This record gives sequence, structure tokens and C-alpha cells, in this order.
Amino acid sequence: MLETVKLSKVFKEKKAVDEINLYLGKGESVGLLGPNGAGKSTTISMISSLIKPTSGDVKLEGKSTIKDPSEIRKVLGVVPQEIALYEELSAYENLKFFGKIYQVEKGKLEERIQEMLELVGLKDRQKHLVKTFSGGMKRRINIAAAMMHRPKVLILDEPTVGIDPQSRNHILQTVRKLNEEQGTTILYTSHYMEEVEHLCDRVYIMDHGKVVASGTKSELLSILSSEDRIQIHVSRKSPELIGKIQHMEHVRRLDETNDGIHIIVKKGRNILSELVHAAEKEGVQIINYQVEIPSLEDVFLHLTGKTLRD
Amino acid sequence: MNSFFKKDLLVFWRDRKEILLAVFLPIILIVILNTAFSGMFSSDAESIHINLGLVLEDDDTAGLEQFAKKVESLEIAPDEKQRIMEQAMQIGVNQQLTGFFKNPELAEWVTVQEVTKEEARKLVEMEELDAYIKIPNGFTNTVLSAAMLGNESKMGVTIHAKEQSTELSAIEDVIHQFMNTINMQLALGQMGELNQSTQPVLPQGGKELVDDVDSYTFPQYFTIGISTLCALFIAQTIAVKTITEKRERVFNRIILSNSPPFHYLMGKVLSTFCLAWIQMMLTYGMIQLVLDVFPDKSATFWIGLFLMITLFSLAVAGLSGLFTSIALSIKDTNSAAGIFTMVVMMFGALGGSFFPLQGLPEVIQRIGEWTPNGVTQTALIQFIQYEKLQDLVIPLSLLLGFFVLCLIIALFTFPRRGRI
Repeated sequence: MLETVKLSKVFKEKKAVDEINLYLGKGESVGLLGPNGAGKSTTISMISSLIKPTSGDVKLEGKSTIKDPSEIRKVLGVVPQEIALYEELSAYENLKFFGKIYQVEKGKLEERIQEMLELVGLKDRQKHLVKTFSGGMKRRINIAAAMMHRPKVLILDEPTVGIDPQSRNHILQTVRKLNEEQGTTILYTSHYMEEVEHLCDRVYIMDHGKVVASGTKSELLSILSSEDRIQIHVSRKSPELIGKIQHMEHVRRLDETNDGIHIIVKKGRNILSELVHAAEKEGVQIINYQVEIPSLEDVFLHLTGKTLRD
Repeated sequence: MNSFFKKDLLVFWRDRKEILLAVFLPIILIVILNTAFSGMFSSDAESIHINLGLVLEDDDTAGLEQFAKKVESLEIAPDEKQRIMEQAMQIGVNQQLTGFFKNPELAEWVTVQEVTKEEARKLVEMEELDAYIKIPNGFTNTVLSAAMLGNESKMGVTIHAKEQSTELSAIEDVIHQFMNTINMQLALGQMGELNQSTQPVLPQGGKELVDDVDSYTFPQYFTIGISTLCALFIAQTIAVKTITEKRERVFNRIILSNSPPFHYLMGKVLSTFCLAWIQMMLTYGMIQLVLDVFPDKSATFWIGLFLMITLFSLAVAGLSGLFTSIALSIKDTNSAAGIFTMVVMMFGALGGSFFPLQGLPEVIQRIGEWTPNGVTQTALIQFIQYEKLQDLVIPLSLLLGFFVLCLIIALFTFPRRGRI
């Protein structure tokens, strides 16, 4: 339905997006993951026609949208990171204004406003000014405004940043409902891996303007199929013990965490006896030993060398 | 376009701080300025004070003797000769003039001192005297001969001053009134109705009175200046709201709706027009109600004022359109807001909204007359005095031209895709 072909954007000699190829099938829910500065927002701005790409193309149903973006704008709903609403207007007035400029039929406008308010759970607060809303409520209205014209594709750019868990859950439920019940195609960017895992069928992982990996959750997790991840908790910190673990034959990587040591080893290699032996020598007690099931966060760490919050 | 217009009005209306500023600031400023300056301009006697020299070269006793000889040589009956002489002695031209200036009412704003011609010249040169009046030698004889015997007269009272001024006009007016009174007395005397109680009519000091021309007052000046300036600030306020729309990405959402830029721009222009118009109407209405700044004005005046306010509001709307385009084009939004404030302040200063431009260089005055507030101010001040609707045709056209020009530039500079 929607795809980008070698899409690039250069800002003053700095490549913000570097020849990325994305594909969104009809009714799919696709995640776009990446740390700050990875190029996610620039990619979204190019897809939604707000900025022109330096090179490459954005295609809707196989047709380029670069020269004439009016068609893609009709089918696209964009929820920006910012609260793109008039704070001095009520929720109802905001939706009415955006509905009108999106040319929602006059006779159906009222019905659509109420439908959207119902969807985001703010029907009882519709007459209240947006500036009196909590961050979470504003973000819900932000989504409703983008949905007024019944877009086929909804792009959400980190829609849960800085809000309480209750509002976050509400937003996730709303997005899921839009995707599953109304068949809206979703492109969802987030810092929160669990959101993407929960919502998306497929995931693109971006870093330094490039797509470093893509696929379904299981496909991405298979990247880590050659590794086991072990978390140990110790009685005290010991640089000497860390040095010894790092030099163990099957250890690929080691990270100190707040409550212990995170170790990545070759698949199927048991290093427990070696660890116990080394700890004994250094006078350190191993309190807990746990082999972890890998998550997308681990895949991300593996691919980019950093966590999503970096 | 209607949606944008309604939205802009609603957003402005909900901003209580802006509403209070827009509605009450001009009214409060005008009332304060009027109160502060009323002591300075309310007293007519204080507004003009004239120092006048009186050079009396004429000797009225000698003049009467010369006139008596002339009468004696006439071939008329002795009774008639006696009647003419009695009447001539009653008039006492020089005494009347000096007495006229000593009148307490006139003495409030005219100080007269008798000086010699040489002293008078020197004092005028040193600007210690505003002017001097010379009553030439033989004046009494000439005036009496002309008035009572019908002789030709080429002699008159002359006024000498360094340069033309309001004060000089007032003195001319005084002398003119005086001569009319003398002539009237002589005419009445010839008809046998001379009455000692006939007094010259005193002109009003403090105002330059011209036939069929009213003067404008400082409260009127403040009302025009402050109301135009505050209306200009509406253009700036609306543009700053555009900056907020841009910063908070609402404008991006508007772009994504496929709305034509012209609709967005016209929403700003129309809402600015309405707000500026309402603001000015309220200001003039309230100020008229509270201070009665335009007393006894005709329907023509109010029609002219309505037209000027409407076209000026349109010019402000055009400026707002231009500001909106600039706000969307400039990346540094803080700079944009600063630029708009500077432009409005510059218009205010050049257009004479802060202070009258009369003291400033000619070039600045000419530039100021091309600013929308300058055009409005000049036109309204002239209109207050003459109340001729045809005088407003050019200013109204200039304001319309300003609006069209701003709108064209705004449309051409409205950022294309990818530049916002």
C-alpha cells in the first residue's frame, strides 16, 4: 500500500536518512524503532509530505507522491510528537475545526466528532478547553484530530511520550482497536520496545539514518539465536571478577547493570561452573543466576550497541 | 476560509489577556494622556501669550488740529463744522487703541508696552517681542479725514514681526477687529447715533480662527494616534499566533489537510480586519462617550470617520497577512516576533502616533505620511478641520492600495512546501 524507495534526506551535508526502504501492507501494523537522532521523525515527515526528500521516493499504491502529495494527504493521518492542537479551544472545537479543514461532510461532521471522542474516551470532557487537560488527555485528542477524516494509514510519532501509564494503556488500546476493528494501517514509532512488541506485526529498526534490521518479532529474535543471555547477581562489585569473566572463552559481551552483570555467551555453552569458580577465588558470592529469553530490546542492543533510551 | 476565520477569531477571543489589552489599552492610554495633558492645553489664555510693542508715532492732539484746519477750510455751515469737530474729538483714535489693549480680558493673553521704533525692532529681533504695531505720524488726521470727510487714505496701522506665526495671526485679528469697531463708530456717529458704550469685539486667544475651519484638539490627536497604533499591534498579535501554530506543529496539521494556503492567509487577514475594526470602533465610541472628544460633529464627520476606520483596519489586515507569511518563512520564531514589534513601533513613530511630526526633518515627515497610520492620522486631522468627504478619497485609496500590496507580497512570500 505505502512504501519508501531509497528514501534519503541530507541536512547541511549530514545524512539524516540514508536510502531507507519501508513497506506497509494494507491493514498492517508496523513499528519503527530507533534511538534519538536515528532519523525516524525525518522519515515520517517525508512520508507524510511535510518535507521533500533529497532523493528516493514515497509511493502510494505504486504511485509516486513526491510531485503531487495531495493524494497521500487524503489517506494519511499523522499524530505528531507535539500536541498539535489549539490549547485555547475545547476538545470539541478542535475536532470540529480539523474535521472541517479535512472536508468531512457537513452532515456527518457531528457524528464523526462524537465517534472520535468516544474512541479516545473523552466524550464527557469535550466542552473543556484543551489547555485544562492532562498530558495524556491531550495526546488522546491529538490522535482523534488525526483520525477525523478516516485515514487509511495512521502514522504515530511517539504518541506516548511523557504520559501516565493509564493514558498510555488507553492510547495503545485505541491504536489496536483502529488497526484490528477498522483496518487502519499503522506506522508506529516509539522508544518503548514493549509498545512496539504489543502493537506491531512487523518492526523496522533504524540507527544513524539507516534501517539496520526488519521483520516480524520472531524473525528479529532469530538474530539472537546464536547467543544466550545470562544475568547474575553478586554479593559485591568486583572489578577483578569482571576482568576474569571477560576473558572466559565463550563470553561475547559483558555489561555491568545496577543489580549485577549481564553476560552474552555462545548458544548452548554452560559457563556456570567457571563463574562459580572465579567468584570463589575473588571472595564474591553469586546470589542469583538466570538465563534470559531474548527480547526485541536485546535485538536492538545487539544491532546498535546501545539501548533505545540512549 | 470560513473555518480559518472563525478559528482565528475564537482563538483570539479565548486569549483573555490579549482581549483585555486590545479593548482597554487604547481607551486607558487615551484617558491617561488626556488627563495628563489637559492642564497643559485646556486654558486658551495660557495657550498663546503675545508680547506686543506699540510704536506710537502719531500725536492725536496735533492730528486733531490738522483735522480742524481741514474742516475749517470746508465750505459748509458753521454748525456743521462744529458738529464734525465734536464728533472727531469724541472718537480719540489713539486713546481707543491703547485703551483697547488695556482691556482686562485681552490683557490676559496680550502684554503691550509702548516703545520707540528702534527699541521695537531690536526687541523683535531678540524675540523678546512677538511683534510690534506702528501707528504712523498723521494717523489720526488721516483716519478722521477718510471716515468723516470722505478723503482718500493710504495710511494704516502696520504690524511688524520676525516671521509668520499663530501669534501674529491673532494680533492681525485683534487689529482687524479694532479697525472694524472704529469704522462702525464713525459710521454710527455720522448717523448721529454714536454711543460711548460701543466696545470693540475681542477676538478669542489661544486658537487660530479661520472662517469655516474648526481646529483639532490634543484629545482628538491622542485618540487618533493611540487607536491607530493599538490597531497595528493586532497585526503583530495575529502574526505571533501564527508563530505559535508553527512551533506547536498545528500548522503542519493544516498543511496535511490539503487546505489552500490562500484560505489560511485570508483567515488571518479577515480576522485581523474584524478585530482591528471592532477595537477602533470601541475605542472611538467609548472615548466619545467618556470624554466627548468630537463635540458637535456633523453626520458627515461620523461617516468619514467610519470609512477611514474601515479602510485603516483593512490596511492593518494586509499587514497581518504579510507578517503571517514572514512568520512562516523565518526559522527563528523569536526573531520574527521581534521584527514585527519593531515594524509596528517604527510605523507608530514615523506615522506620528507617538508624537506630532512637525518638529522632525521634512524627509521623515514625508515618509511618515506613507505609513498606514500616518495616512490615517493626517487625513483625519484635516477632516476634523474641514469635514469635506472628498478630502478622504486619496487617503482611502492609499489605504486600500497598502492592503492590496501587502496581500500580493504575502501570497508571493507564502512558503512553499518544505520551507516551513
